[in-house]
Amino acid sequence: MFKNEEMEINLGPQHPSTHGVLRVKLRLDGETVTHCRPMIGYLHRGVEKICENQSFFQGQVWTDRMDYCSAVANNLGWAEANEKLLGITVPRRAQYIRTLLNEFNRIASHLIWLGTHAMDIGALTVFLYAFREREDVLDINEAFCGSRLTTTAFRIGGLREDLPPGFEKMVRKFLAKFSDCLDEYEALLTENRIWKKRTIGVARLSAEDAIALGVTGPMLRAAGVAYDIRKAFPYAAYAEMDFEVPTRTEADTYARYEVRMAEMRQSARIIQQCMDGMPEGPVMAKLPKILRSEVNEVYHATESPKGEIGYYLVGEKGSLNPYRFHVRAPGFINLQSLPKMAEGGLIADVVAAIGSLDIVLGEIDR
Amino acid sequence: MPTPTLTQSIVITLIQCLLVVIFVFVVVPLTVFAERKVLGHLQQRLGSTRVASGHVGFTGWMNRSMWKMGRVPVLSYWRGIPGLVGDVLKLILKEDIMPAKADKFVFFLAPSISMVAAIVVFAAISFVPGTFFTFPAWFPYLGGLPVSGGIADINVGLLWILGVATVGVYGIVLAGWSSNSKYPLLGGLRSAAQMVSYEVPLTLSLLAPVVLSASLNFSEMSSRMAVGMPFWALVPQVIGFLLYLTCGFAETNRLPFDMPEAENELVAGFHTEYSGMKFGLFYLAEYINMTVVSALASAFFLGGPWLLPFGLQGLLNPYLPGFLSWFGEPHAIFFVAKIIFLLFTYIWVRGTIPRYRYDQIMAVGWKYLIPLALVNLLLAAVIRCFAV
Repeated sequence: MFKNEEMEINLGPQHPSTHGVLRVKLRLDGETVTHCRPMIGYLHRGVEKICENQSFFQGQVWTDRMDYCSAVANNLGWAEANEKLLGITVPRRAQYIRTLLNEFNRIASHLIWLGTHAMDIGALTVFLYAFREREDVLDINEAFCGSRLTTTAFRIGGLREDLPPGFEKMVRKFLAKFSDCLDEYEALLTENRIWKKRTIGVARLSAEDAIALGVTGPMLRAAGVAYDIRKAFPYAAYAEMDFEVPTRTEADTYARYEVRMAEMRQSARIIQQCMDGMPEGPVMAKLPKILRSEVNEVYHATESPKGEIGYYLVGEKGSLNPYRFHVRAPGFINLQSLPKMAEGGLIADVVAAIGSLDIVLGEIDR
Repeated sequence: MPTPTLTQSIVITLIQCLLVVIFVFVVVPLTVFAERKVLGHLQQRLGSTRVASGHVGFTGWMNRSMWKMGRVPVLSYWRGIPGLVGDVLKLILKEDIMPAKADKFVFFLAPSISMVAAIVVFAAISFVPGTFFTFPAWFPYLGGLPVSGGIADINVGLLWILGVATVGVYGIVLAGWSSNSKYPLLGGLRSAAQMVSYEVPLTLSLLAPVVLSASLNFSEMSSRMAVGMPFWALVPQVIGFLLYLTCGFAETNRLPFDMPEAENELVAGFHTEYSGMKFGLFYLAEYINMTVVSALASAFFLGGPWLLPFGLQGLLNPYLPGFLSWFGEPHAIFFVAKIIFLLFTYIWVRGTIPRYRYDQIMAVGWKYLIPLALVNLLLAAVIRCFAV
């Protein structure tokens, strides 16, 4: 008379907690998830193809619009990949400024993650606190390059302009208060019993699985693998910076939370060092009038807030635009771990898992 | 005092009903408004604390003049009121959409059940024991007649309140089911399980005052819990109060127990498919339920219309000087003040903690709250049996 039926349900593409237009196909047995498949592509714009049809300079605006929460990090990877391809050396001051802005961007991106992740779990207040500080970071972006979100911050060969007057004061002001702000978020979450109950042991992804799936970034470091490209293959000015790579071994949502919170503190440290040790000099390398590629192909990976963002550029020697442009987007690759994390859990854990992935659909669909 | 005739007492009752309805419909929108403002300040939202509506009209004028005086109009609490009016108008005027495959009758019935169950509870709530006020002699038809502090202060008042309030669950379950849609169904199921589970510790925690005061009558219970009992006998009821409040949060589907409408999991839970005033009724019912829970908590645990909670009133009364004697008497204003404080607590908690997971809520309810409520009840029974 009674039969047990599984219910198929679409989480998204219009759903408050899928952070954009992600659609997750779930099969539910009661509230338990038995099957979970992320469906993507709602935001596909063909970024890679567009970049192939433009000159080397023009691709940067598209990298802003991939992961729009960490535009600067995307710009940095893009600029360095192109510089490798075109054989350009960037002045040291420009490297420092790039590092500084990149770390600010990491803070901004992690703040968005913190706010939305906490909101998904029901802690509304953290969201607004985090956005309050992100506002300051965006103001710093604005002071540097005139725009807040889609920064287009760098140029191939360095920077368009040097730091504006008053920039150092803004940065110092931010650094002075940021540690207290982090303490404020942690006061609301870290020892909160409900927060711990919702996150500890939820959406586990072991180091083996993470490596097998190609997961990078805080997700991987929360599983105990201290792989950070800033340390492993230093780029920009990271070789000269003194910072730690925070890791946890629990590999659950709470561990990812701890890793990201610790990363924000480390980022503040790096910014401090950049500001203190800022070298003098030019910010732009001497470039030829026409940029032609020097080598045939380049893969350049940098550590974006979400994980390893890699740019693969193929340019026949002497060509004016990349023959092939491919982005290894961390969000796209991290997202494939969702079924592993979510299946067997409850529907509320799916939401926690998506939150701890820290995805931006602009980057996944490109 | 003259005794009213039948028609006179019917008119008086109607007046009481009107007063209660006015009370409810004043408190509820103000709570919604306060929620915006209090949350705004807790969370440092700019929208509701600094730049909220108004470049036109009176508020706009105040706003502009404060800016001119060189002040950021931070404390202008009246701003946002136009937004509130707009919200209500929007709810009333919005198109009422019904899903094609919904069970039409039940879909229509569900919000009404929720709303009626929430508001009918007020019949048995007495704001002040005895007479609330007396009509002056010049008043036509009703001159000199007393109006009591509750509409129907019946001798099974608490039973009525619990019974009717439980019916509200049907509204939510039926809404979830009749929408014929997946998210509402999940929301409805969750709420059925959650509310039925939390009904048990809620009732058990209310049984302690019943045992202690040996009555089910609302005003009698609140009187005895405030002044009719020695101080030490009521101190254990601090636990009872916290228990009741926790269960009350769960019963009204507020954070951290807002499972049925956990928007980050179930979109909007049981009322996903509702729009317009049907949604408005659910919304109203939630806030009325919050008021009811606060009213019961303040009546049975916080001393109701008396000034001080937990039997402290009985300690205070003998030492009150003559000119402060009104502190020793029940007043509706104390009662309402406590209700408002508890409503603030609701908002406060919402601004502070995250949401439980569904299975964790059930675990908390069955594994911790119910045993604790039983122990509390046993304690009350022992005190009643041997001491009072």
